[in-house]
Amino acid sequence: MTSQYISWVTPNLDIYSRGRPTKMTESSSNKLLNGDSCHWTSNGKKSSKNGFVKSHGLFQEPQKYRRPREKNQNVTHNSSLYKKPFAESFEETPLLVAVLTYMGYGILTIFGYLRDFLRHWSIEKCHVAREKEEQKDFVPLYQDFENFYTRNLYMRIRDNWNRPICSVPGAKMDLVERVSHDYNWTFEHTGRVVKDVINMGSYNYLGFAENIGACANAAIEATEKYGVGVGSTRCEIGSLDIHEELEQLVARFLGVESSMAFGMGFATNSMNIPALTGKGCLILSDELNHASLVLGARLSGSTIRVFKHNNMQSLEKLLRDAIAHGQPRTHRPWKKILIVVEGIYSMEGSIVRLPEVVALKKRYKAYLYLDEAHSIGALGPNGRGVVDYFGLDPKDVDIMMGTFTKSFGAAGGYIGGKQELIDYLRRHSHSALYATSMSPPVVQQIITSMRIIMGEDGTTLGIDRIRQLSENTTYFRRELREMGFIIYGNEDSPVVPMMLYMPAKIGAFGREMLKRNIGTVVVGFPATPIIESRARFCISAAHTREMLDTALKATSEVGDLLQLKYSRRERPLPSLGWMAEESLLQD
Amino acid sequence: MALGDCWKQLSWFYYQYLLVTALYMLEPWERTVFNSLLVSVAGMAVYTGYVFMPQHIMAILHYFEVVQ
Repeated sequence: MTSQYISWVTPNLDIYSRGRPTKMTESSSNKLLNGDSCHWTSNGKKSSKNGFVKSHGLFQEPQKYRRPREKNQNVTHNSSLYKKPFAESFEETPLLVAVLTYMGYGILTIFGYLRDFLRHWSIEKCHVAREKEEQKDFVPLYQDFENFYTRNLYMRIRDNWNRPICSVPGAKMDLVERVSHDYNWTFEHTGRVVKDVINMGSYNYLGFAENIGACANAAIEATEKYGVGVGSTRCEIGSLDIHEELEQLVARFLGVESSMAFGMGFATNSMNIPALTGKGCLILSDELNHASLVLGARLSGSTIRVFKHNNMQSLEKLLRDAIAHGQPRTHRPWKKILIVVEGIYSMEGSIVRLPEVVALKKRYKAYLYLDEAHSIGALGPNGRGVVDYFGLDPKDVDIMMGTFTKSFGAAGGYIGGKQELIDYLRRHSHSALYATSMSPPVVQQIITSMRIIMGEDGTTLGIDRIRQLSENTTYFRRELREMGFIIYGNEDSPVVPMMLYMPAKIGAFGREMLKRNIGTVVVGFPATPIIESRARFCISAAHTREMLDTALKATSEVGDLLQLKYSRRERPLPSLGWMAEESLLQD
Repeated sequence: MALGDCWKQLSWFYYQYLLVTALYMLEPWERTVFNSLLVSVAGMAVYTGYVFMPQHIMAILHYFEVVQ
C-alpha cells in the first residue's frame, strides 16, 4: 500500500539531496507526468513527525545559495516542458540608485508635512476637499492623512496623466494642450492641439484602433442596422443575433466548446469569479494579479492564498499544503482549488509559465483560471494567446478569460470553456443578469477584427500584423537593452517596462518625452512598489520602423539627459560623455 | 567658448542634483528653503573645520610624539 501512495513521488531524490540545480531529463519528467510508479530509493527523504511532507514534488528550489544578481534566474527548472527558450529577466536595483530614491522620497515627505502644516493653519490656500465649519465637531468625513501621498507627491506631477486625446488613439494621436498656473491643481486648455504624437502608451497591440478600414465600415453598418444602445440585459431582452455570432466566433478562435461575452473586462473578472467559487473553496492567486481578479476573489468569500510572482515552487508548496491540511480549522478537504494567473502581467512584462502551471494543475487536480487580457491576439504564431504561444491544448485551461480592449480595438470581456461551464455562467453570473449587453457597433468591430486575425476574410492582413508586432517587439526590446536601460520582462512580450526609480525622474521623463512628441505612460506607487517606478511602452503592429527609430532616438536622448541608463550588464559600446561616472560602477 | 561650455556643464549638474534630490518636483520657494538649509549646514561644517583643524592636527602630532 505504501508504494502505491508514494507512486507519484519523484524518483530522482538524489538530485535534491545533493543540491544540484534541477535540470530534469526528458525521460524522468515524462515518467512523472504519466504517473508511473517509481521505486523508493534508499536515500529518500521521509516525512517529518507532524505529517508535513517536505521537499518532494515536481519543482524544487536548488539548495545551493546563489548571489541574487537577478531576481528570477534565466534558467528554467523544467526546460523539457518548454518548446522554445523562456528568457525573462528582472535586473536587480543598483544599491546607490535605491539609496538615492529613498532619500528623494524622504525629502518629498518632509516637504509634504510642511505643506500640510501650512494648509492646516491656513497660511496657504487649501485646494483639497474640506468639511464645512459647522461639521468640524462631527465624525470626520475626510481623513487628512490617507491622501497624503496624493496631495503632496501625485499632484506635483499630475500633468503626466489624464491627458485628453482628441483623435483616434492609433499609432499617432493628437493631444489637447493644457497649461496649469497653480502647480497642477487646475488645468486650462490653451485651445491648441499637439498633433501627431507617437503613441507608445495605448494597448493597441495589433493596430485595430483605427477609424478607417474594414472594421470601422462594418461597425458603421451595424450602427445603421441596430442603433447604438441595446436597452436591456442579456437575460431579459438584450440578446441580439450578433451576440450569438460573436460568442460562437470567440469559441472557434480560442479552440474551446463555448464562450460568453460581457460588456466590460473588469466586470468579467469581478462578477464571474464569485459565481465560480464560494465559501469552502481555495483561490491561489499570483502576487501581482490585477485589481479585478483580486476584487472578484474577495467578493466570492473563498479563502485566498498568494504565491510569489511566477514562482512555481511557491505555487507547488501552497498546493501541497492545501491538499495535505485541508480547510483551516476543520481540516476537511477543499471543495475546489482555483489557480488564478494572467497571461501577460502588464506592469512587469512577464509571461506566465503556463506549461508548468498546467502540469501542476493536472498533478494536484486543481482548476485553472487564465486571464489573457494582454496576451490574446498579441502572443503566439496565430495570435491565439499564451496557450498558442506555448503550443498547449486549450482544453487544459478550464476557464479562459480575456478582454477585447487590447488587441481587438473594442471593449468588453469574454469567458471561454466547456459547454456546461458557460451554460452555468449564463444563469448565475451577476454580469449576465444585471449588466447591459454589449453595444452592436462594438460587437461588430470585434467580429470583423477577429475574422481578420483568423484569416477568414481572405486576406493575409491578420498574419502580417501578428508578424509585424513580433518583429517590432524584438527590435524595440533589443535596442533599449543595448542602450543600457533596465528593461523588465520576457523577451517576447509587447509590454516593455523601463525602470526609472527616482520620483523626480517620473515627472521629468513624461514631460521630456512629450516635448519630443512622444506620448508615454509613466507609473509609480501604488501601482508598483515604492522605489520601482517605471515607464511602460506598449508596442503596436501599427508602429512603423521609422516611428520606432524616432522613439528610440528620443528615449536615448532623454536617458542621457536624465541619467537613466542604470544597467550594469556588459554593453557592446559604452556611451561617451557624461557616462564616465556610471561606467566605473560596472563590474 | 570655454565659459559657455562650463556654464552648460554646471547647469546640467544642477539639473541632476534637482532630479536626484527630488527638488525638481517642488515649487521655487521650497527649493530656496532647501538650498539655503543645505548651504548653511555645509557652510557651518566648513567653518568649523577651518577653525578647529590646526588644533586637531597639533593634537594628533603630539599624540604620535612627532612634535612636543
